[in-house]
Amino acid sequence: MATSPTTVVDQLLAGLHLPDGFDAVAGVIRESLAHVTNSAIWTRYGQQSLEWLIGMNPVDRLFMLSALTLLLMLLLGRLRSAGVLAVLLYGAQFAALLSTDTLFGAPVAAEVRITVADQSLHWSYDALSWFFAMITIGAAFVTAWYAAGSWMRRYREAGQSARAFHVALALNCFGMLLLVGSADLLSLFLGWELVSWASFLLMALVGGPGAQAALKYLAYAISGAMLLLGGIALIYSIGGSFEYGAVVAAIRGMTDVQVWTLLLLLGGGFAVKLGLLPFHLWQAAAYAEAPGAGSVFLGAISARMGLFGIIVFIVGMIGVSRLMTLEIPYTFMSSRELIAWIAALTIIVPTYTALQQHDARYLLAWHGIGQGGYMLLGLMVGDAVGSAGGLLHCFNYAITQAALLMAVFAVVHRTGTADLNQLGGLVTRMPLTFLVLLFGIISLAGLPPMAGFVSKWMVYRSLITEGMPLLFVAAVVGTLGTILSVYKLIHNIFLGQLRVEHQGVAEAPLSMLIPMLGLSALIFLAGFIPGPALSWVAQVQGQLGLPVVPWVLGGIVDPRGGLDMIWLVGILMAGFGVGALVFYGFGGRSRRVHQLDNYAGGHFLTADVHYQYSDNFYAGLMHLIGPWYRGAFRWLERSLAATLDLVSFGAEGLYRVAQPTLLMLAAAVAMLAWVF
Amino acid sequence: MIPLTLETVSYAGAVGLVVIGGLGLVICNHLFRMLLALVMAESGANLLLVLTGFRGGAIAPIIGYGPAGAPMVDPLPQVLVLTAIVIGVGVQALAVAVLVRVYRTYGILDMRELRRRMEGEIAVAAGIAAPGSAQVPLGQRPLPPVPDYELVRRSAPVRERGA
Amino acid sequence: MTLELPVDLLFGLNLDLNLDLTKVMTANAIVLPVVLPLLAAFLMQPLAQVSRTLARLLGPLVLALGAWIILNAWLDVGPAPFSVAIGGFAAPLGIVFYADQLALLFALAVQVFTLLFWPGLGAAAKADAAADRQRAPRRDALALLLASAATGLALSGDLFNIFIFYELAAVASFGLVCADGSGRARIATLRYLFVSAFGSVLALVGIAILYLQTGTLNLAQLAQVAPETLQGPIGLAAFALLLIGFGVKAELFPLNAWVPEVYATAPARVSALLAGLVSKLAILVIVRLLILVFQQPEASQLLLVLGVLGVLTGEFSAWRAQDFPRLLAFSSIGQLGLVAIAFSIDGTTGILAGTAVALHHLIIKSALFGLANRWSGGLDALTGAAKGAPRAAGLFVLFALSLVGVPPLWGFWIKLLIMVGLVQGGSPLDLLALGAILLATAVEAHYLFRVALRLYQPPVQDQASRLAPPARWDTGVAYLLGACLVVISVAITPATEALRVLAQQTGDVLLYIDTVFPQPLAYKE
Repeated sequence: MATSPTTVVDQLLAGLHLPDGFDAVAGVIRESLAHVTNSAIWTRYGQQSLEWLIGMNPVDRLFMLSALTLLLMLLLGRLRSAGVLAVLLYGAQFAALLSTDTLFGAPVAAEVRITVADQSLHWSYDALSWFFAMITIGAAFVTAWYAAGSWMRRYREAGQSARAFHVALALNCFGMLLLVGSADLLSLFLGWELVSWASFLLMALVGGPGAQAALKYLAYAISGAMLLLGGIALIYSIGGSFEYGAVVAAIRGMTDVQVWTLLLLLGGGFAVKLGLLPFHLWQAAAYAEAPGAGSVFLGAISARMGLFGIIVFIVGMIGVSRLMTLEIPYTFMSSRELIAWIAALTIIVPTYTALQQHDARYLLAWHGIGQGGYMLLGLMVGDAVGSAGGLLHCFNYAITQAALLMAVFAVVHRTGTADLNQLGGLVTRMPLTFLVLLFGIISLAGLPPMAGFVSKWMVYRSLITEGMPLLFVAAVVGTLGTILSVYKLIHNIFLGQLRVEHQGVAEAPLSMLIPMLGLSALIFLAGFIPGPALSWVAQVQGQLGLPVVPWVLGGIVDPRGGLDMIWLVGILMAGFGVGALVFYGFGGRSRRVHQLDNYAGGHFLTADVHYQYSDNFYAGLMHLIGPWYRGAFRWLERSLAATLDLVSFGAEGLYRVAQPTLLMLAAAVAMLAWVF
Repeated sequence: MIPLTLETVSYAGAVGLVVIGGLGLVICNHLFRMLLALVMAESGANLLLVLTGFRGGAIAPIIGYGPAGAPMVDPLPQVLVLTAIVIGVGVQALAVAVLVRVYRTYGILDMRELRRRMEGEIAVAAGIAAPGSAQVPLGQRPLPPVPDYELVRRSAPVRERGA
Repeated sequence: MTLELPVDLLFGLNLDLNLDLTKVMTANAIVLPVVLPLLAAFLMQPLAQVSRTLARLLGPLVLALGAWIILNAWLDVGPAPFSVAIGGFAAPLGIVFYADQLALLFALAVQVFTLLFWPGLGAAAKADAAADRQRAPRRDALALLLASAATGLALSGDLFNIFIFYELAAVASFGLVCADGSGRARIATLRYLFVSAFGSVLALVGIAILYLQTGTLNLAQLAQVAPETLQGPIGLAAFALLLIGFGVKAELFPLNAWVPEVYATAPARVSALLAGLVSKLAILVIVRLLILVFQQPEASQLLLVLGVLGVLTGEFSAWRAQDFPRLLAFSSIGQLGLVAIAFSIDGTTGILAGTAVALHHLIIKSALFGLANRWSGGLDALTGAAKGAPRAAGLFVLFALSLVGVPPLWGFWIKLLIMVGLVQGGSPLDLLALGAILLATAVEAHYLFRVALRLYQPPVQDQASRLAPPARWDTGVAYLLGACLVVISVAITPATEALRVLAQQTGDVLLYIDTVFPQPLAYKE
């Protein structure tokens, strides 16, 4: 079989399922490639290595490329051009992922199999793996691009190691690919630990408060991993194997008590990573204090690995219907409702904590915790639309959060601060960044026409149709908090009075602006035409055995109320158009004035007078709701630490006895008493 | 009921010596007394070991000693116990040597006091606060600072003097 | 070919006669790694009077020779175990050395690690030249004595002989701990000595009970008669007493109050040898007794309970440790608890897991104590140490990752083995042990990475100059051991298979008896 770059490109383009209009573009690519393939060097070396690459299993190719990225970053990460190289490599990984075609084909198993101590590890890609891998590599791609230029120069100048950053990112991506492709419990745990520690590396890179947050993260993450390992041991003790097939059989044969234990162990392990209540305290600081581009990657995908675990085990293997049969004794609740309420509280509490933040990074990171709640809530509803909404929100939220954090770090890059009380009025200096943030917050708040609206609408709708009005109210309360806090975000950064020290601030550099604008376009497109993303979600649902959402290009069709975003956005745009027509067509009696061409209370203003204060936003609201939850979970955390401390103190006391022989004599007496 | 023979009494005595020695090690704080307790315990163990080869009415296990075919005591434990005694004496000698050096350095032989000094020295050498000190917060948990009593007294001199 | 040769008279032979001559010679030569260091230890002082350089070189040379002999024996004789009767006196009466793969592996480890952590090697020796000149020969003699005794512990097949080697190792370690002559080290030595000596007394009582019950102290013969004579509480009491006696050096839970004091005061390399090597050999003795003599499930349970308590108390105490040596000491207690838990698992799985975790800890903890040679201060003083010593800091992170059990490092596979073994055991005590291990691992990760992060913090102004980077020799040794760790992690499948063969051989009681008594030998009074 003759393989040439031309055929590869053909395959890739076929895999993309592009509309017909792209044929012309493809033709240009093909022609330019034909020039390359006719050269002598190509026929000598390129042909062979390409054939080898094509001959590989697509999943192996993906793993190999990812490992190659890691290796190259380890070797060349110090070079100035490493950033560009990383972008290209992540692009190649993305292409390799597209070529697996597992989304619409059968699952593909990797040929790599490791057998250790009678246990075998292997990996396989199916629709779910593809979905998460796509988000991961996409996030890595935009992150690497964002970091490639001016950002990395600044990072180096601050005395940080570029290589460490590149390696941490590549390791995160590689670990995540291994995790989502895991086909048995061992490979799952291997991938889990790899991602956990790679995230730790990324968080701890800059030191200072980041290192403190990373240590806290580590305490949570390793406890979660040990819970997970305990759960794996429980499954192994019943099924006698780590294979998923045996696991499903083992879970089917478990008694209710065993399933409860499993749910607590595995669920606890995953909840820590997802940042569910009451394990959410580590996340905001750890993500916010990571180096800027790293924070983007972490915020977009890393917390979702907990959700991935929940999808695989709790939704896929235990099943929502089994959850409904597990009643909590002496209450009316089933375990499914318990999880749903935890998800709802996870939406509300962190979102209102976000409202209190004065640091833009923290504000967004706290939101990330809350948004995880929507995903879990959708999945726990378990019907076609709800679970599709939960899954779709993973994708929508990833692009939204990436765009938002990029915008915020672009502001940090230019002004040197993320403190919301030290910023303001930047819209005149950074209009494109403002636009990105605007798109992002509309999507985050779940308002049309952006992507976030589609997935949140689906979750709300399923909550109502499946008869969970209280949870619906909780979700809406959470959204209210989101709207309030994102308004604070955009207002305090971009609106209001421009500070004197920010007069000279310029628009974000192009290397950072391109991925930001690209993501913004994606946010709008995924809201305008949610069909493609819904088609992926539908495949994942089919894979998991959930009811499949009836999707069309513009949204969903359903007798109980569908959604067509193309119509909706069309009407919205028409409304804007009419508005603009009215505003500009009939006179448009407005005049641009300088910001200081104004007066207040009879005084003319000067640049050094602050006539617009944004400190202590929503003071009244905080006064009202603050006492209800403030510090409750910190108290829990602190009391746990104090308990650990007390136990350690006791243990150390045993080693500080005045007479070491005393313990020995006691041991001898105890043992002999036990023996006889 | 265990019969009260020479053997049982000897066994009980041997075990008793070990127990007394162990208790002495725990109860005494004086290093030399502890050493003596150790010697006692070792004698008990050695006695027990040599008793394992004992047989009532048997002769010494020497070829050509006593009538041929007469029952002999087991020679192996005697060999073992000789070795054990030598080892024990060696360890005791080492203990005495170290003990003398410690006494020359510190001028005391009280176990508790010596241990306190050792911990203090370790802490000073490592540049940390001594373990168990009230100045050290436990782990990561910040304790309220210990009030400086000098300061407290000085800040309220009026009442003291006025009283 | 017949074997009427002088060598036969010298060392005695108890081998199949169809072996060829070279094999017999190498097999007999296995005695040399015990004898030569002992001889060299006593020659050291006179030799130092003649030539100081020669005396300095003597120890490393003898150890290298010992390592070479053991390797030779291993390669020549092949995988089957063999036994050597000392002085030509056959087994039940004479003393035998039993060399299977486990014994050879640990005997080799003794030679290699004593060489790597030889007190006189590298820059550490030059630090205090004038005072050192007086002490060096004595200290070297003690180190050789320790090596000899430790090799003997690995090889000996006679319980009383093992006791003697154990005492010899104890005396050598007392001397080494207070070798640098500081007052605090002497106090720690005294406290250690009392514990150790009373432990020996209890072990001696245990040996007396054994002898009273069985009439023999040869391990092979004990293995033969144990099923009839050592069942029931008397046998268990003997085991409990022996466990307490040998548990002192093995750092088992209630017997290890000496550990933090001694490691905080002793020279770092001595701590490396004690924590890495000597503790493993003491555990090895306990395991031999457990496999051959005390096959009751209660005996394993006793070890399991002590192991669980050791893991919990060790890791929790390490969490509160304020200085680097004591952190390592407590962590070592926890790890040895893990070793005890692993060995208490039934069958080959247990021996496999136990040997693996023992070797893992041997490699890592020795290397870490090597690094602690210069980093012996409080943990706060380590802030920013990575600036001055990036390699040492990187190695610390590698070792910490493996200790915590992060895949794909060796530590993870070992924890997996233990986990699977405990789950297959399935008793409530096993599951409790599993829970304890998981809890302890979480604590361990926290305190190890608290230190790791501290290493990478920007240094505090005045501390940067005070903190010297680890000596080149120690870093080199850590590099070597780190490379070992990485190689094993990469070649995990063949390494595990090799250990499995070793474990099967170790667990085979009949093989032990048949090797020591080649022809069926009925025991008579």
